[in-house]
Amino acid sequence: MISEIDRYAGISSPIHRWDPRLKLVSIFALIFSVILLYNLQLVVTGMVFAIILTCISKIPFPFVLSRMKLVFIFVIPFFIIIPFTVIGDGVEIARFGGITMSYRGIEYVKFAAMIVLKALTAVMLIFPMIGTSRMDITIKALEGLHLPNKLVQMFAFTYRYIFVLDDEFMRMDRSLASRGFKRRGNLYTLTTISKAIAMLFVKSYERADRVFYAMRSKGYAGTVATLHEFHAGRQDWINAAVVVGFALLLQVAATFDAFGTSGTFGGL
Amino acid sequence: MAATSTETAIRVSDLNYTYPDGTVALEQVSFEIERGESVALVGPNGAGKSTLLLHLNGILHSRKSRGAIEILGEPVDPKKVHKMPKKIGIVFQDPDDMLFMPLLCDDVAFGPINLGVEKVDVKQRVKDSLERVGLAGYENRVSHHLSGGEKKRAAIATVLSMEPEIIAMDEPTANLDPKSRAELIDILKTLKNEGKTLIIVTHDVNAIPELADRVIVLNRTVVADGTTREVFSDTETLLAAGLEVPTIMQFFEVMQAFGYPCKVLPLSIEGAVSNLTETIENGDGHIHLHIHEHTHSEVDLARSKYQHHHHAARMRDIHSGPGTGAAH
Repeated sequence: MISEIDRYAGISSPIHRWDPRLKLVSIFALIFSVILLYNLQLVVTGMVFAIILTCISKIPFPFVLSRMKLVFIFVIPFFIIIPFTVIGDGVEIARFGGITMSYRGIEYVKFAAMIVLKALTAVMLIFPMIGTSRMDITIKALEGLHLPNKLVQMFAFTYRYIFVLDDEFMRMDRSLASRGFKRRGNLYTLTTISKAIAMLFVKSYERADRVFYAMRSKGYAGTVATLHEFHAGRQDWINAAVVVGFALLLQVAATFDAFGTSGTFGGL
Repeated sequence: MAATSTETAIRVSDLNYTYPDGTVALEQVSFEIERGESVALVGPNGAGKSTLLLHLNGILHSRKSRGAIEILGEPVDPKKVHKMPKKIGIVFQDPDDMLFMPLLCDDVAFGPINLGVEKVDVKQRVKDSLERVGLAGYENRVSHHLSGGEKKRAAIATVLSMEPEIIAMDEPTANLDPKSRAELIDILKTLKNEGKTLIIVTHDVNAIPELADRVIVLNRTVVADGTTREVFSDTETLLAAGLEVPTIMQFFEVMQAFGYPCKVLPLSIEGAVSNLTETIENGDGHIHLHIHEHTHSEVDLARSKYQHHHHAARMRDIHSGPGTGAAH
């Protein structure tokens, strides 16, 4: 079963009560602001803010960390790649054929740390952003924000059918297992699994046809509309002001280099 | 509804359809369904029943099908499929195909919103439709998490909310547990009593007498078309199409072999009750059953008549001559 990011949408917290439209826009702005930073101290400040937001949202940290593990595995090689690869100003250490390995100094370890922290901060912010509303509400919020309808439809259908497809694959998997199939590291396993996946594509294609027929029979003519009622009250706007304000502050600080030049990588 | 009941709801005349791979799905299909009529469409697997349903609102169409279908007096225009739900709603066989929105209320609201119904009315329709299928208060449920029976009923609600004149359903009672099946039959009965025009594709012969006044047997083309009783009396045609008659009808035929006087075989439990009551009243408070010398051969005959493997074996015997028949 695909684990659902909105597993903790049912609990109550100030973030949960926040108008999903403003929540999406504000935290999205914050994510962008953090990604655009090139100053380690400011990124760390962003990270702290993200941790505070996650704490306020009451989403259990083990849940967040277990999701972030994958991202961490993905970004950790930057610690090796960035300090030891070269554009020209490094000290050459070794040469493997055409590939040169060199060391560029402690500066670049910091730079790698910054990239890793930025990635982790961005991913962590996703939890208060979309982990605090049910996915369907989030999709409605996107519609409420007047995102292009085709995009909203794509989100909605992906979310609706990913579970159906997952179930379908699970059924195939069980049917394989019940006839004595065991996954091993051999070619037979690979061909069997790839055939099952191919079958999943065929089935999905046919289901897509049938769903489209069903939509057409219900009067679908290109756009999907739903009934939704979002009310942005004073508290919602205050929350938005705090988060967007912090995002802007980070950018202002970056522009005026509030923490001196030691941590910046403006030249890169 | 009585005033308009003479109008034709569905007119299919000489409908042909061939799948892109060349398989003939429908061949010269013609029939008419009056407004307020409730019709069961039966036929073996692959007989083209679902294909026929998809033609009724123009989703499937081909050069050969142009002008072959009229709904409420107007020919179906494949370019205006999105305008059809006002007239005819189709309930698909797999509810997962019909419940494609995040929340159940969105699915039920989907049709009316597309039809341009006012927001306030849409909300009312969503509430009413869910209530009518026994899912009141399910608005904010995620359809993926509903049970099979709930999904089937939800799919019907998504069509009811469009308030179509005609409702076509593809195997509404399939894959349901007995309780869910009974609930679904109740919903369909209510719709029938409200005067909706129903066309129900089904293999559930025991449900047909309760739901339909008329049965059309389709096997690429219309093989039989008549009242429920007429069609169920025509055993040969039914068996040839791979179908059967209601269990209760088979049982009363067996009873006949035991000497039960019965001119007209009942089709449903209700029919059986009134039949028994009448027979007992006529027989001074008794019914008389007995075994005579032909009873067992008559019972065997009645039973083998409805059993497909016996039927097939009999046909084999006939074709291969009596010599090989002795082997059975």
